[in-house]
Amino acid sequence: MNTIAAPLLPPSERPDSYLSAGYSVRSWLLTHDHKRIAILFAVSITLLFFVGGTAAALIRIELITPAGDLVSAETYNKLFTMHGVIMVWFFLIPSIPATLGNFLIPLMIGARDLAFPRLNLLSWYLYLAGAVVTIGALLAGGVDTGWTFYTPFSTLFSNTYVIAAVAGVFIVGFSSILTGLNIIVTVHELRAPGMTWFRLPLFVWAIYATSVILVLATPVLAMTLSLMAFERIFRIGIFDPQLGGDPLLFQHLFWFYSHPAVYIMVLPGMGVVSEIITCFARKRIFGYRMMAYAILAIAVIGFLVWGHHMFVSGQSVYAGMVFSVLSYLVAIPSAIKVFNWTATLYKGSIHFEAPMLYTLGFVGLFMLGGLTGLFLAALALDVHLTDTYFVIAHFHYIMVGGTVLAYLGGIHYWWPKITGRLYSDAWARFAAILIFAGFNLTFFPQYLLGVAGMPRRYHEYAPEFQVLHVLSSAGASVLALGFLLPPVYLLWSLRRGEHATANPWNASGLEWRTSSPPPQENFKEIPVVTGPPYDYSPQEGDSMFGQEARELGASASRS
Amino acid sequence: MSGIAEQFEDVRQQEQSAHLGMWVFLATEVLFFGVLFFVYSVMRARYPADFAAASRHTDVAVGTINTAILLTSSFTVALAVRASQMQAVRLTRRWLWVTAALGAVFLALKGYEYYKDYSEHLIPAFRFSFEAAHARGAEVFFALYFATTGLHAVHLCIGIAVVLLIARNAARNEHAVEVGGLYWHFVDIVWIFLYPLLYLVSRA
Amino acid sequence: MKPAAFRTYLWTWLALLALLALTFGSAYVHMGTFNLVVNLAIAVLKTLLVMIVFMDLARSTSLVRLAAAAGFFWLALLAGLSLTDFLTRS
Repeated sequence: MNTIAAPLLPPSERPDSYLSAGYSVRSWLLTHDHKRIAILFAVSITLLFFVGGTAAALIRIELITPAGDLVSAETYNKLFTMHGVIMVWFFLIPSIPATLGNFLIPLMIGARDLAFPRLNLLSWYLYLAGAVVTIGALLAGGVDTGWTFYTPFSTLFSNTYVIAAVAGVFIVGFSSILTGLNIIVTVHELRAPGMTWFRLPLFVWAIYATSVILVLATPVLAMTLSLMAFERIFRIGIFDPQLGGDPLLFQHLFWFYSHPAVYIMVLPGMGVVSEIITCFARKRIFGYRMMAYAILAIAVIGFLVWGHHMFVSGQSVYAGMVFSVLSYLVAIPSAIKVFNWTATLYKGSIHFEAPMLYTLGFVGLFMLGGLTGLFLAALALDVHLTDTYFVIAHFHYIMVGGTVLAYLGGIHYWWPKITGRLYSDAWARFAAILIFAGFNLTFFPQYLLGVAGMPRRYHEYAPEFQVLHVLSSAGASVLALGFLLPPVYLLWSLRRGEHATANPWNASGLEWRTSSPPPQENFKEIPVVTGPPYDYSPQEGDSMFGQEARELGASASRS
Repeated sequence: MSGIAEQFEDVRQQEQSAHLGMWVFLATEVLFFGVLFFVYSVMRARYPADFAAASRHTDVAVGTINTAILLTSSFTVALAVRASQMQAVRLTRRWLWVTAALGAVFLALKGYEYYKDYSEHLIPAFRFSFEAAHARGAEVFFALYFATTGLHAVHLCIGIAVVLLIARNAARNEHAVEVGGLYWHFVDIVWIFLYPLLYLVSRA
Repeated sequence: MKPAAFRTYLWTWLALLALLALTFGSAYVHMGTFNLVVNLAIAVLKTLLVMIVFMDLARSTSLVRLAAAAGFFWLALLAGLSLTDFLTRS
């Protein structure tokens, strides 16, 4: 990269790295450094990921046999609610924006921190408070409404801790809003000299678009859940038809947030994938501007399609048709992205290190998840498929196959930058393949179950579904093993891993122009940007890549 | 300006960030309150007669006076911003105090209204009583009345605290005054819509 | 930022109070649905005055104007698309 006029810094373990700025608990809990706050987020969401995963494991164990022999129906309802609530609000939504986004946005745009560091810390404490309240509700007795909290069940019938669970979600919503606000202002105001909008890495574009959704959609959820709690406590008929309310009003408001929330989850993944795919194909990203526009288009169109969650709810047929057509529109920018990733690979010099394996997994699974989304956007077909395992498989392909794989890919890609250490690539590749295989074995049978008519949210089922359910549960155990591996070898690398150079992947981008781990102020001198991103070419990449590049490390600068 | 935080290169960048941050926050607030306005619209379309009857039970005199008070407070906070832009610190403080005082008067009148509503049994789910023909929709109206005005009052309390804090600590910092003023104006705007929707549904 | 003229603020304040009087008065004239239309139109007008003059959108960057418009625009999306259901449900 010959465009950056900043000095390339020598290898890690430097006394001025942000990690050696303080070792006390206090230096972490009261930090204003976006890099440390990102790590606080990463640790907390990882813990909650495994809590939510435990619920999923119990669900899959229960479903091995057609009879409800492990847990009662009530417990089963609480398990899938717990799984959904925790995974959606406490893992997927903050996953990439609050960890990788938090860590990388200032580095990528050449800034010293986010615009509002104290707000950033507050965001983490709000996350923590929300998690404590919600987990408290789930431990105290659980909630059985499903993560959607549909009325009138949630307001009239459910005897579980609905209000406490909702209060936790309300609080964590404000954590999301603050993160989003911080990132929007940072990207607008704190870009380094010369870092114009069309020189931004696509990851920054993606997190920026995600932040816009966070800021505009989350308040709607917060107020809607408050009204729901209000109705539950005071019996005011806003949503409950028995009291004269309109239950579809709740669904409209809920999905006005929760459909865009899908894009809150997957857009950051698209950003991560764009960074990795261009680096590991040693090729400039294909159609950079189109990619940026597609990100914005997905963010905006994502707000116009929520009614496709309500095709069989009793909303008007006309509304169903409008929402069906609008839903198809989202496929256009999504397809542009998949085509452009593929075109980036074309004639590239492709390297299959662990981050790239996760990324290729993302592209394939996202495509499958996206295409099955088109089935569900079709008004007539959805009548058959709605509330079946087909829907479950579809959104797990997007959320696990998409977001989780991208998150893991990103963690592996930037791990040397974040920690200054290298992990074992062999183990990482093994885990990536295990997760990919386990994932498909878990969720592909669920497409078939759905088409065959197996409804979601049942703890017992007809015997003819057993083969596919057993396959799915077997896949889940492989998947679980795959998810347990990265924490082990990544943590191991913290003590035993080799020291990383500033730019082990020989990647472009400002974050690789500072030491690994970065100094507390990110850059000794704020860099000046003079060219477009992704300055890769296959020839130079080939010889400089991989192990060789790691050895060459610091001297790899071609300034 | 007291100083520049380390993440900023210069004062201008810091000021613009604070300014933009407040506007983005207000966009969030628009949607936060917006849901209540939307629910109000759906419910009013469902119970037009009940909403009309319920609205006649609000105190239009107090509501109108309160609207005038808030509009005036927007004027005075704008004058505080103007004074701070002219580096007139004492004048800035004075206008900020006037603004906070107007906010307090508004809250006092609102409290008096709430007391009246209480004595007329207009609090939903709490000894609510209304002429039977309109009771169901009227209860929804008053639920939304208390939700919106209550949330507005909370925002106003925060606004008063912010204005007083700025008057005490940052009257010299014209940008702090501007950003605080933006928030105050937003709270005023919420009320500008609440006033006709709650008090003037059916007066003719 | 250079301070705006005192006159501008004074006239805006007076206009706001005049609009308040107008909306209050119009509520007592029987106009059917148009009572609501007039009330809302006046509320929008007042909001525009506050935002453009008091909140100084008149002299703000286009970025700030965009942020100011975004909230209202998204609220319109919520209301507008929901109406496809609420207006046509049978």
